[in-house]
Amino acid sequence: MLNAHLNFKLLEMCSKCGACFSICPSCVNLPGYDPRIVIKDILAGDWEKWLTSKSIWQCLECHHCLEICFQHYGFENAMTALRTIAAKRGIHPTQVKRGWDMFVKTSKLGDPALPARKKLGLPEPAKSGAEEFKKLYALLKEKKAKSGKTH
Amino acid sequence: MKDFAVFWGCTIQTRFPFIEKSTRLVLDEFKLPHRDIDGFTCCPEKSLINNIDHSLFVLTAARNVALADEHDCDIVSPCTGCVSNLATVKGELKYNPVEKNEVNSLLKEVGREFKGTAKLSHLVPFFHDVVGLQTIKQKMKKSFSGLKIALHYGCHMIRPSHALKNDDPLNPKKFDNIIRALGAESMNFPTKMMCCGQGLDRVDQHDLALFMARVKLKELKSLGADAMVLCCPSCFLQFDNNQYLMEKEGEKLGIPVIYFTELLGLGMGYSAEELGMNQHRSDCAPFIKKWEALLKKPDDEAIIENDLNTAGALG
Repeated sequence: MLNAHLNFKLLEMCSKCGACFSICPSCVNLPGYDPRIVIKDILAGDWEKWLTSKSIWQCLECHHCLEICFQHYGFENAMTALRTIAAKRGIHPTQVKRGWDMFVKTSKLGDPALPARKKLGLPEPAKSGAEEFKKLYALLKEKKAKSGKTH
Repeated sequence: MKDFAVFWGCTIQTRFPFIEKSTRLVLDEFKLPHRDIDGFTCCPEKSLINNIDHSLFVLTAARNVALADEHDCDIVSPCTGCVSNLATVKGELKYNPVEKNEVNSLLKEVGREFKGTAKLSHLVPFFHDVVGLQTIKQKMKKSFSGLKIALHYGCHMIRPSHALKNDDPLNPKKFDNIIRALGAESMNFPTKMMCCGQGLDRVDQHDLALFMARVKLKELKSLGADAMVLCCPSCFLQFDNNQYLMEKEGEKLGIPVIYFTELLGLGMGYSAEELGMNQHRSDCAPFIKKWEALLKKPDDEAIIENDLNTAGALG
């Protein structure tokens, strides 16, 4: 399952390198956060246990690891792959689910604050593309159902 | 200069309309050809949407870029996340014609087409590269000379560099150059390039988000920074709002957090109230007070001039 998301050859190199460890803000600041262990487990086929871990959501997607990586790959790909599988199984933080629900329902993560806008003398906000977005999302789901793809 | 649509994004319009206010004032004052276009949705937010459905992430961003393509205009955004997400997808589709065809076959159903002609810029590199430091200097009525400013770039202003291509992704310079052009000192400090950590708040790990905010704010307090300046609503939320929450719990760090457009607005002569800065959760007053005191002091040139023209020690 992870094969679809990750390049194991590059990860093999990652497991021997770790150049990004000292630049990663989560590695430096959050005790116990160490993607090097996660990558070793992925290569050993023992990654299921990480799906329920808080660690995989502690990657801040700041792309520091990507930029310093000699392969332009980085930790973040491993973390994103695990998060995607976890989310598919419904194991994700409540706020991620709440954000997702609001997005697919309204096409946004919140509506413009109208009274505050008026007070500040701001113009009417531009129209949102919610209706068209919903149509597109329905088309995408239909297409996926036809092709049997799940992501 | 080509016309550009401002991509406000969800966070600014939902939570921080005063950032839209200062941005509009600044864009008007610089007479930049900006406009609003109908039909934008969420960019969409990467950590929430991409983790669950990559194809919807790509399709939504491609549709937003397609709207600007149709209007034959570029996109400029005061939000780092929006620019980074849109640019990431634009880059992905540029190098993946199969995926681009798939996206366009869906967009065709609603009468749109992703071409990817619209240039996508974040406001800060846009001001540096397109408006230019000279023009910025000319517009400023008041200098920030004597103030120590701690810049927080915001990860997604400059990364991923393969999509944004606007500055050195590990050692950026453009924001610093603008701050120096405004007369202030842009501080160097160990955690300068450290991510704000707001992402942790979005995954139910609020305590760790506070922990990350504290690391940088404590350092700035010990170094005597007069303000933190940034241009990302997510980082703003982290340092302004979360700093306020810490203060409520009895931990006062006292670092005013100022948006890039507010700083420009102040320099152009707008008051903090006109810019809506009184709506920040963490108090900006100490910064304004110190700045106003510095403005009242005669500058070095005037002191020398005065000494030369009046009776000095040599009679």
